[in-house]
Amino acid sequence: MNAALRKMIRQDCSRVLGQRPAAFQALEGGVLLITGGTGFMGTWLAEMIAYLNDHHQLGVRLLLLSDRASLFAQRAPQLASRKDIQLIERDVLNLVELPEQVTWIIHAAANPDSRNHATDPLATLRVATRGTDALLGAALRLPNLHKILHVSSGLIYGSQPVEIPAIAESFAGGLDCAAPSQAYAEGKRAAEALCAAYRTQFRLPIVTVRPFAFLGPYQLLDRPWAANAFICDALRGGPIRIQGDGQSVRSYMYPADMALWILTILARGAAGTAYNLGSPEGVTLMDLAERIVSLLPQPVKIVTRMLGLGAPRPNRLVPDISLARETLGLEIATDLDAAIRLALPWYRAVASQER
Amino acid sequence: MPDIRISDPTLRDGNHAVAHQLTAAQIARYAAAAEEAGISIVEVGHGNGIGASSLQVGLSREDDATMLRAARAALSHSSLGVHCIPGFATINKDLRPALDLGVDVVRVASHCTEADITQRHIGYVCQRGKEAIGVLMMSHMAPVEVLLEEAAKMRAYGAEAVILMDSAGAMLPQDVTERVGCLARGLDIPVGFHAHNNLGMAVANSIAAVQAGATILDGTARGFGAGAGNTQLEVMVAVLEKMGFSTGADLYKVLDLGDLAEREIIPVLPTIKSISVVSGLAGVFSAFAKHVERISKQFQVDPRDVFFELGRRRIVAGQEDIILEVAQQLANGGAGTAEGGRQAAERKRAA
Repeated sequence: MNAALRKMIRQDCSRVLGQRPAAFQALEGGVLLITGGTGFMGTWLAEMIAYLNDHHQLGVRLLLLSDRASLFAQRAPQLASRKDIQLIERDVLNLVELPEQVTWIIHAAANPDSRNHATDPLATLRVATRGTDALLGAALRLPNLHKILHVSSGLIYGSQPVEIPAIAESFAGGLDCAAPSQAYAEGKRAAEALCAAYRTQFRLPIVTVRPFAFLGPYQLLDRPWAANAFICDALRGGPIRIQGDGQSVRSYMYPADMALWILTILARGAAGTAYNLGSPEGVTLMDLAERIVSLLPQPVKIVTRMLGLGAPRPNRLVPDISLARETLGLEIATDLDAAIRLALPWYRAVASQER
Repeated sequence: MPDIRISDPTLRDGNHAVAHQLTAAQIARYAAAAEEAGISIVEVGHGNGIGASSLQVGLSREDDATMLRAARAALSHSSLGVHCIPGFATINKDLRPALDLGVDVVRVASHCTEADITQRHIGYVCQRGKEAIGVLMMSHMAPVEVLLEEAAKMRAYGAEAVILMDSAGAMLPQDVTERVGCLARGLDIPVGFHAHNNLGMAVANSIAAVQAGATILDGTARGFGAGAGNTQLEVMVAVLEKMGFSTGADLYKVLDLGDLAEREIIPVLPTIKSISVVSGLAGVFSAFAKHVERISKQFQVDPRDVFFELGRRRIVAGQEDIILEVAQQLANGGAGTAEGGRQAAERKRAA
């Protein structure tokens, strides 16, 4: 990553933090372990903690646990080389013991790539269930643990009913447990059940977030999300190809907001509560493509592709974030247009490196 | 947008019928006429797709790049397509250069129970901003629930449509209705169908597919393709028109395309030979026909016995080396096992 992008990410952290650093007082001087710590979410959390340590003397020590920790040193050397960040190369499935100085945990180990869920639903389920069980079991033995934040998924709600504009945390939803493609969502539901069991049986303080979709730096370009594909198509000169008529609705949160929300929920969220993590700003895929095009110097064509007869219409996935807003005062600092504008230089730089 | 998208693999499946000897000049002429006729996808290459030219399945007269360049120069509105079987085709050696040469559509194929192997190839095509279509070959060999799961995997990898191939020409219309219908109801992407004519069912099966929800159909000029050939494009387009479906193709020019193919690229028009009937009954990949005939002759065994034994063993595309083994074992006094020999004889009698 070049210096300009590094600076941009730092500015993002500063911008979304605004006057909020006090919200993280509880974390001060703590040791935060993040499982799946070198993925998209872990990397943004590391950026935010690094910023808070550098500019607000938060004094948090970060332990990033991942089965691919060594790759992180290549991808984010500016973080991997810091004294307040330590990499631990370990598969969450094999966790028995955690460093005893750990006071906070964010459990983000998972592979959200739907392609891998289709190929290896068993591994997907194992990480969510056995991995969560292993982590929570090891956490029981920590002498000074304050709280665990479990990263679930907005997919646990199943299909969003047409008549509901945004899904609240209380929506019971429904999944088809026999469909291998839903292994991730089912695994995350089971992991939430495990968290609830550990909380009630051992009084482990666990809070949950249910992430929706994100758009911004550190996304892997080959990930099969619509926004990713649209930006990659556009930077290639187009056309942007939309599967279907473009009327499906999604929402995208900028990852600096995501990091701020996660840390706030870790520090101040109520144990036993699940919070939606995403943007409430619904956008049709056609509108999203048009907004991307409007921010580019050159015209890019948008084409729609045929859908099959089995396609559910309309298709919507937007969270209701009233709970986080009302109880924790969290707001979205980066709207969708700003998110696209901020994401473009990063996508452009990464795409040019990959060519 | 037409009701039915026509994909024409004459220059790919037809290559099986001429031992992969189509020339760049033939490809250029046919592609130009297909473009003129309004064909949506013109598929080009070795019969088994890009990267497949080999001693085992046959050496191409022209390399992939030459064939693709010839077709690319002739196509502007029609999409240039390739067939791509992971294993024959690797990403860096075959897929990357094909896309660099201007391929628009990559049909990434696997045996119907092995969609997992298409993940990286489909992913790469999507990453390059091109259209990936998943193809499940030999789809008569798996139950419908399995086909739906495998197709759903391809969808998850980024395929924009899934094609069921009746590679052995083994299906009857009710088989097609059941399979295509299940996929069309269960997937949110278009479903297509690719027929072979071993049992004389290719046009009927293609129409059954459309009636069950398929919106992409494969057809080749004069049915030029492996074994007994494919659905005859001209007839298919005519029947679709008669039924009131739009295809985006110009019927007269499609008819001219068939005439051109017969005149300039098809040395022997496809017919349903005895061996093809047996291959369809046995449910064995149509493109095995030439290998089976040659090897059976070499070992002086009845090629029909070879086909039934291959069918009993559920041999699939890519396992061409087993033909030799089966022929040799039959020549040595029966099939690989006494049981196999008996079953082959029984099937022969039943047939």
